[in-house]
Amino acid sequence: MSDWPRLFESELLRLGLQPVRARQLTDETAQQAAEHAAPPADVFGPAHLYARHLVAELNTPATAQRLAPGPVLLSLTGVSKRYRRRTVFAGVDLRVRGGEVAAIVGANGCGKSTLLKICAGLTRPSAGEVRRTRRVGFVPQDGGTAGWLTAEEHFTLFGAAAGMVPGRARSTGVHLATRLAWRPSRKQPVQQLSGGTRQKLNLVLGELHAPDLLLLDEPYQGFDQGTYLDFWQQVFAWRDAGRAVVVVTHLLHDLQNVDHVLDLGASFEEGQR
Amino acid sequence: MTPRPWLHGFLDLCLLAMLRERPDYGYGLAQRLAAAGVADVPGGTLYPALLRLEQQGLAVPGWQPSESGPRRKYYAITDAGRDLLDGQAAEWRQFRDGVDALIEARAPR
Repeated sequence: MSDWPRLFESELLRLGLQPVRARQLTDETAQQAAEHAAPPADVFGPAHLYARHLVAELNTPATAQRLAPGPVLLSLTGVSKRYRRRTVFAGVDLRVRGGEVAAIVGANGCGKSTLLKICAGLTRPSAGEVRRTRRVGFVPQDGGTAGWLTAEEHFTLFGAAAGMVPGRARSTGVHLATRLAWRPSRKQPVQQLSGGTRQKLNLVLGELHAPDLLLLDEPYQGFDQGTYLDFWQQVFAWRDAGRAVVVVTHLLHDLQNVDHVLDLGASFEEGQR
Repeated sequence: MTPRPWLHGFLDLCLLAMLRERPDYGYGLAQRLAAAGVADVPGGTLYPALLRLEQQGLAVPGWQPSESGPRRKYYAITDAGRDLLDGQAAEWRQFRDGVDALIEARAPR
């Protein structure tokens, strides 16, 4: 036969499935191919792609089973930002409930990152009202990590800031990393990690204290294609767990599954006229 | 036959409807879909959908021996599956009638 079952199983493990479940799915897949009296590659295509497809399918609840949206966790009303006499944006309204995903889109320089910082309470709006839930996770576009510390030291440090004991912060961090197909090395300082892996660290740190509202600023820079898909899968898993997620993005092809799209370019131009 | 994007939303509905008629295994369901003229569903689409139905408690699997080859995983619909099917069937009819009405409508001469 071929390497197909082995490749399939190892990709399932890489995607974070429990070994027992991965073995079970591999056995079933072999049986299904046997029903068709064909090699698995003919029935399912390349092993690693089918593994990703299967995991994504199993993580997607049927539309009928999606939870009704929860309470409003973030609300912006008539928010504007000016730097001196330049209006960056004006009249921005946005409401995001638990169980919803919102995307902030727009060209470079239209103030997407500024708006996200306003959502997080790190920047004050020039006008308008912002209400947010108490537990917020913020993932910046870059930076935010200390190069000479290891990933586990980051978990401990950020966990301590949220009142978590070190052991629990570490195990939570490692567990969350696994869901992004990343196994942090115990000794490697963060400055030796690739840009994509540092972004994974940022994502894990943003989620470490189980926030109800997640604010993500293009957190997938430097991700390869597989990791990028893992990232969106993770966003929808957060959503289905009842959290509210706001993602800043300039990639428009991801928007079909989000609940709200705030086009900052468009709202700014309307605000000007 | 039906382009894949259309089928995507209705595959669960079709599978549940066939399982309500009688329990069946994956390959049998694929053949029934093709015979009904609905779609040639590739294994890579069919089996994840069946696993999802199983995981959501809409169908339960059982093993049965086959006359040729290895034993087969047969799926049977559950009560929850029946309830969902009833709801989705009503939605489907409404959708179908709406699309039909749009297709039949013509500009006045």
